[in-house]
Amino acid sequence: MKMPSFSRREFLKTGSNGFGYLAFAALAQQQWLRAGAQAAGPLAAKAPHFTQRAKHVIFLCMQGAPSHVDTFDYKPKLIADAGKQAPSAAGRYGSAKLMPPQWKFTQQGRSGLWMSELWPELARHADKLCVLNSMTTDLPAHPQAFTQLHTGTTQFVRPSLGAWSLYGLGTLNENLPGFITINPPGNAARSYGSAFLPAIYQGTKIGGGGAFARRFGGGEQAGVANIRNSRHTTEEQRTQLDLVQALNKATMQQGGGVSAEVEGVIESYELAFRMQAEVPKVMDLSRETAATQALYGIGEQETDTFGRQCLMARKFVEAGVRFVEITHGSWDQHFNLKAALERNCHAVDKPVAGLLADLQSRGLLKDTLVIWGGEFGRTPHSQGDDGRDHNNKGFTMWMAGGGVKGGMNHGMTDDHGYKAVLDKMHIHDWHATVLALMGLDHERLTYRYAGRDFRLTDVHGTVAREIMM
Amino acid sequence: MKLLPLSSLILAPVMLTGADVAETAHAGIAPDQLQFFEKNIRPVLARHCYKCHSAESEKVKGGLTLDTKQATLLGGESGHPGVTPGSVAQSSIYAAMTWKNEDMQMPPKEKLPDDVIANFKKWIEMGAPDPRETKVANANGGKRVIDMEEGRKHWSFQKPVKQAPPEVRTEGWTRTEIDRFILAGIEKAGLHPVRDADRPTLIRRIAFDLTGLPPTPDEVKAFVADTSPDAARRVIDMYLDSERYGERWARHWLDVARYAESSGKEVNVLYSHAWRYRDYVIESFKKDKPYDQFLKEQIAGDLLKFTDKRDQAEKIVATGFLAVGSKGHNNRDRRQFAMDLVDEQIDAMSQSMLGLTLACARCHDHKFDPVTQRDYYALAGIFLSSETLFGTYDQLQNSNTSALIELDRDAGQVSGLAKIAPAEVAQLKSRYETAARTAEEARREAFAMRQQDRDKAGAAAFLRIRGTRDNAEAIKADLDLFHEDGTPRTLVMGVLDRKTPFNSPILVRGDIKQPGEVVPRGLVEVLCAKGEPLNISPEGGSGRIDLAHWIASKDNPLTARVMANRVWLKLMGSGLVATPDNFGVMGQKPTHPELLDHLAVTFMENGWSVKKLIREIMLSRAYQTGSAYDAANFAVDPDNKLHWRMNQRRLDAEAIRDAMLAVGGVLNFYPVDGSPVARAGEGRQALLTLQREVTGKPHTCRSIYLPIVRDQIPEMLSVFDFPDASLVNGDRETTNVPSQSLFLMNNQQAQGAADAFAARVAKFDGNSSERLGYAYQLAFGRGPNAQERQAISHFWTRFQPQVAKNMGGGKDAKQKADFAALSAFCQSLIASAEFRYLN
Repeated sequence: MKMPSFSRREFLKTGSNGFGYLAFAALAQQQWLRAGAQAAGPLAAKAPHFTQRAKHVIFLCMQGAPSHVDTFDYKPKLIADAGKQAPSAAGRYGSAKLMPPQWKFTQQGRSGLWMSELWPELARHADKLCVLNSMTTDLPAHPQAFTQLHTGTTQFVRPSLGAWSLYGLGTLNENLPGFITINPPGNAARSYGSAFLPAIYQGTKIGGGGAFARRFGGGEQAGVANIRNSRHTTEEQRTQLDLVQALNKATMQQGGGVSAEVEGVIESYELAFRMQAEVPKVMDLSRETAATQALYGIGEQETDTFGRQCLMARKFVEAGVRFVEITHGSWDQHFNLKAALERNCHAVDKPVAGLLADLQSRGLLKDTLVIWGGEFGRTPHSQGDDGRDHNNKGFTMWMAGGGVKGGMNHGMTDDHGYKAVLDKMHIHDWHATVLALMGLDHERLTYRYAGRDFRLTDVHGTVAREIMM
Repeated sequence: MKLLPLSSLILAPVMLTGADVAETAHAGIAPDQLQFFEKNIRPVLARHCYKCHSAESEKVKGGLTLDTKQATLLGGESGHPGVTPGSVAQSSIYAAMTWKNEDMQMPPKEKLPDDVIANFKKWIEMGAPDPRETKVANANGGKRVIDMEEGRKHWSFQKPVKQAPPEVRTEGWTRTEIDRFILAGIEKAGLHPVRDADRPTLIRRIAFDLTGLPPTPDEVKAFVADTSPDAARRVIDMYLDSERYGERWARHWLDVARYAESSGKEVNVLYSHAWRYRDYVIESFKKDKPYDQFLKEQIAGDLLKFTDKRDQAEKIVATGFLAVGSKGHNNRDRRQFAMDLVDEQIDAMSQSMLGLTLACARCHDHKFDPVTQRDYYALAGIFLSSETLFGTYDQLQNSNTSALIELDRDAGQVSGLAKIAPAEVAQLKSRYETAARTAEEARREAFAMRQQDRDKAGAAAFLRIRGTRDNAEAIKADLDLFHEDGTPRTLVMGVLDRKTPFNSPILVRGDIKQPGEVVPRGLVEVLCAKGEPLNISPEGGSGRIDLAHWIASKDNPLTARVMANRVWLKLMGSGLVATPDNFGVMGQKPTHPELLDHLAVTFMENGWSVKKLIREIMLSRAYQTGSAYDAANFAVDPDNKLHWRMNQRRLDAEAIRDAMLAVGGVLNFYPVDGSPVARAGEGRQALLTLQREVTGKPHTCRSIYLPIVRDQIPEMLSVFDFPDASLVNGDRETTNVPSQSLFLMNNQQAQGAADAFAARVAKFDGNSSERLGYAYQLAFGRGPNAQERQAISHFWTRFQPQVAKNMGGGKDAKQKADFAALSAFCQSLIASAEFRYLN
């Protein structure tokens, strides 16, 4: 174990009121001796359990369950059997009729990966994609499956994937939140919650719905809560903060000169002050070149919103944020599939392709795992004449970068795309695999609560080693 | 009242006893059969099964091993035999191989070829000849065998016994018996207690601990001036008797009662009537209701004797404890919903009242504590025999609703809603009738359309039916809140007994599709003395009343200890047992077991009076000591487990917010009737209305009256570690995170509180130095020292000109800048560590 460096406490030396740096250093050292590496704070970067392939994750969460048979799961038999009665595999939908994919599939890239024509831009990155065709989840109901996708359970209140990641690895930039969720749906706090993990690991929300959706800081764009001061200039605020810190220092001295609690307060003010400068900077996309913005489809009406969010995700990752999630809603095409799915794919195709290209050109893709997918898939048969129903027994997600092999399909559904039949990947397996890519052993990443050790994967989870580089 | 079709849970249990298996097992094996086994069975088992199902497995899955004959016959945790010679139907490994049951397909990745499966069928039918005679000691099908006698030896399962306080060497330090226990520990470790807290620090500590508010400058002055030995006792009694005490201590209980006003989970349905339970808890603490009575009422208030309607009403409201938990209202499977509800109740009750995690035994025997799945389903039967009435109304995302309990108009309960005119009731009624007609028409149209063309009547038609019906239901829900004459009805969440009690089957792995043996309703075996009857008498109704008496009993080894520890934790900053919600095997052992027992027994002897317990702890020197750092003590006991000093404690979110408003003189002490959640109504617009009410106007009520909607906790509270309102929580986190700093620097609520504080200080009659002193008295209960005065004057000379310059100069600007500086100064006091820490 190395002695901690006290660079984070540099402000104490240079603060305009001249704090007693030595006193703090002595305290910090004592704390370090007492609590080991924990003195560095709960967000400090921690060593992974084994080889870390992905340092960061960007999860593009397609809420509503996109149709796999119209996008990434090519089923020639479904085309051949169009209009026939759904086979017994369809279970309770026995009387429904099979509906062929509504878009043409072609092979893309050197790998010859099958993709539908809904993805003209993403197709150029086919050789980066690891398409997971055998995903399964427990229930075909949105809220439960969405919760399971994020926490592993539909039943209990448990920490989310992002919170577990942050707990396991800490963050690489303590001037920013380590887990950021952009545009989460309302009533889905579980998807970025920390449950019994310390609150510091929960996701910081940017934008997003919810009945109590807040406008932050008075600015136009949604951001981190209370990040802007509407009253004072930075200079004035620094003067005020110097007073606060002087009072804190006095409190510390009166208590015998040592108080981890007061020191924590002092540090959190300095971090907050730095975050005020750092967060808007990272979120300011105007400094990106026109070419970069165009790459993400920023400025084009249909792709502007998601493009901005993807670019922001790249900037967060670049700045050291551990886990970024972006939610894109309304993939629930019970009817109007033809128009609505096309519109959705169009809205995300270019931004996602732009994100992959941009990460690649900056050398970030090898360290950043990009994930695309929703809470389940849709039925190969039709619902009405232009829709598909929920299907949890077989659906598709894909991953790219972050140490996964590209240009491949993993697992398979049956001939029509109802059920995963080969290399099934349940959400637990997917969680285990994502953690493994980040260098975390899902069986060792535990937290003691109510008398026992909890895991993201509970007692389940098999890592799909075959998709790792 | 609606009853769920629970009886459908009872299915004939399919279990085979070990004796049956033994009888059919063969001793000698014919050579051709042996050859068949060696050629067709053993290699398959070894290749496809042993990885997860043998003694060599890294981890045996499902408690099933297949590498011995004995264990193969016995089967795993499911309780079903692995192989039953002669019967493929009762051979669970065969069923798994065929992949017929979606939830149990083995081997998991790839189905075995049909000819291999056929060989297993043949083998089982020929009597499953198996030469692998190795005996496994204690084979039990993967189940842990729980020895209750051993289990009862766990420290917390034995009744607390009062012991004489130990002798101590240091003379003159101890004031109460508590102090002798504490001092003995300190002396034993070779440490010494630190200096007592000074008077201003002590009264600030007492005031916040008992009322959640800072002491007023007058209170501080009087206490500092009172040199009598009884001064502390007097001030403690004053705060204990204050109205504010109930609001403070009720919140501690609401944390462990996982109180909230909505369902949480996927669809956050509002619970408009939950606030009655909150008020009940406040009232109970205020009146110092004996704790045993308090618990009994929450479990079985509806079944207790009552003196009058008002008393009865209160007791029914108390059962809201069982109804306000988090629920997944959109669960389409009503039986699953019912079992999840019961599980939540068992979990909340056992953790909060007993410090046990009984819900762990839902799917299997408890992994650590001597609690069996049988114990769990004995309790589950009690709750299944009771009906939980939580209200809510039928909507697209809410398939699970219930009635509410209506109390008589003359039951003396406050109303959460204003009276409306009878004409408005009539109007609601007519709106409902119109909406109901529209819904009926939509249904008929869709039905007619479906007759013509099946495909057309798809999701769009369904959504239209649903939409019109939801609209009608929402209006009905609003209508149901009022009597004909427009006065609001008194509706309550709570629990009542069902007409016919019901015994639950054990659900294998907690799966409602796998009912096993039916167990009689009863209590937890390990907490009952050996031979003591566990079961509820068949005439005893649901058994909740027995459960209530059993928990709130002097014979229960846990109840008093758990509460004594909770009170100690809140007052001292750390529990004698560091895991207040878990006294089981995996919980922490007490640091001072004799002291804990002393507190628990005294608590019971004093008629379960929480106030007396609090007073006893507060009068101890251990409580009144200082919080100063001491290098020698710290080196030995850095975590202060021995209580050589008072822990420095962060105020909880409510106290910080209330104090922010109190120092500005704008805290409204009037208790809120009802809740914004109740006033939002039950209709579709409720969440929007609620949003308007919560974010639209500044709330100045005490924090306990703020709306607690799960996952949408008011920002001020959540930022300062308000716990997850779906989980029992006896010990809140205290984080120090930048979001708190950002809140205190930049949030409008913080700035508004600073403005009010500044306005109050500005009005104080005196010179600037006296005003500064006044601000300090309000915020910290003390005056500023020289160092602080200097820092403040330094701030003033820099900040005021900066602001004035930025305002463009001029006389008007100077005045504004003066106030801006005063407000920024007041905000700095609020933002400082001292404001939110108790020394």
